[in-house]
Amino acid sequence: MWSQMGFVGRQVWKSLRELFWTHFLTVATMTMALFVFGAFMLLQENLQHLLKGWGDQIQINAYLDKSLGVGDAQSLLVRVQSFPEVQRVRYISQQQAWKEFQAALGAQSTILEGLPEDVLPASFEIAIKPAFRDGSLVEGLAARLKKEKGIATVEYPQEWVDRLGLVVLVVRWAKWIFGGVLFMVTFFIVGSTVKLAILARKDEIEMMQLFGASEQMIQAPFILEGMAQGIVGGLLAVFCLWSLFQSLRDEIPTVVGLVGPLNQFQFLDLRGMALILVIGWLLGAAGSLFSLKRFVKSWKG
Amino acid sequence: MIQLVHVFKIYPPNSPALTDISLEIDKGEFVFVTGPSGAGKTTLLKLLFRAEEPSEGQILLNGQNVNRLNSRGVARLRRKIGLVFQEFKLLPRLTALENVALAAEVIGTSKRESHAKAYHLLRELGLKEKCDVKPPTLSGGEQQRVAIARALINDPLLVLADEPTGNLDAEVSEETMRLFLKIREHGTTLMIASHDVALIQRYGTRVISLQRGYLADDLQRVTKQENGR
Repeated sequence: MWSQMGFVGRQVWKSLRELFWTHFLTVATMTMALFVFGAFMLLQENLQHLLKGWGDQIQINAYLDKSLGVGDAQSLLVRVQSFPEVQRVRYISQQQAWKEFQAALGAQSTILEGLPEDVLPASFEIAIKPAFRDGSLVEGLAARLKKEKGIATVEYPQEWVDRLGLVVLVVRWAKWIFGGVLFMVTFFIVGSTVKLAILARKDEIEMMQLFGASEQMIQAPFILEGMAQGIVGGLLAVFCLWSLFQSLRDEIPTVVGLVGPLNQFQFLDLRGMALILVIGWLLGAAGSLFSLKRFVKSWKG
Repeated sequence: MIQLVHVFKIYPPNSPALTDISLEIDKGEFVFVTGPSGAGKTTLLKLLFRAEEPSEGQILLNGQNVNRLNSRGVARLRRKIGLVFQEFKLLPRLTALENVALAAEVIGTSKRESHAKAYHLLRELGLKEKCDVKPPTLSGGEQQRVAIARALINDPLLVLADEPTGNLDAEVSEETMRLFLKIREHGTTLMIASHDVALIQRYGTRVISLQRGYLADDLQRVTKQENGR
């Protein structure tokens, strides 16, 4: 058993040495394919993360009629609070709205000079329970709020959330489409490398068959070569992705910060990195097996 | 040891290579298979190590039906057979020692043991100084001796040699034949395909003659070597 493993290991090492550039190009292709797939995965995960962050912040702003008295506003608040979708309601009086607006404007708040403090309407900031943060449910709640006496207008950012959800969906599909095409290309390139390796050792394989070597003994080195290419390609792809992520990390929030929370971008987790390695490993093994089966078939005539 | 029962081999579309061959070979026999080119000598040998399958008939080797073996069975069968070819079939990138040792390594013998056995065999065949030499720089006779060492490394029950002296001059052919006789002394069955009549007359103890795929003759001979023993 150990001597067979030793023999297979020596065969693999010999092939990697003798066909170094062929193996190098295959690993490079594998790295590129897995890198593109990983980049889409990274983008998708971060967009999903962003979406979740936005989801946590989803709230409906219901602006109250200016004619509504404080007492009526309080009873309306209690009523809205009793809706099953509502997590909490914060009442913002006209004065408070004015102060918050001033604070938001900061140094530019001087432009508000001369305006009456009750120019802004009082409002409710309505946070929604996580289970009801779906587009149609939020829309339904907003429609019901609009019908409430004392509420003038209702605003909610659901449209943006829905759009981002669509982007995530597109990225998810693009990942598999682009990744799939590249994986197919890689599969055939691995197959070609193995075919070259087989042809380079055709006489040796023929001799091995004549001496009584088992099929496994003959095929194992080629399958291991394919697997090694896949794993090395996967590791390099993860490393390249990580390097790119590190170098862009400071840039990302300034670009994407316009539309979402900052400093929340993160690299692939262990599961994601393992997925890239497993895909590389499987691609390498499958490409080798495919080529071996074809070659052995044609060889036996 | 070997039994062929009404064996036919027809290559597609319709080229008969062997027709109705039935014969028996005992353990330890030294058999020549002779006949002109195209008589079916090589095909007969190929059927024995399952490089070809018969179109009809049964081949039994050590009581085992060769036709019914799966790929694993074929591999196991070949471990009991040593093969020697006219064109030597040595791997040019490997040294003489590595060429011989490879045959043992591929069936699971450790590298150390394979190399020790290969060295021992090459020394016995007078090639001790050539262990680290690659085949292209060896003479024809030396290459054939390396090939014989390779055929013997797994202690085969049967050695099949296809025109082993075909590429060698008379003197080296004699030397090679003496080696085969030595192998026989260990109880190994030997089957040599050759069309060299002079060689057969000198060494053949049993001569199976093929003509256009038919068994033309199966003669027991008493050679000078047999008498001299």
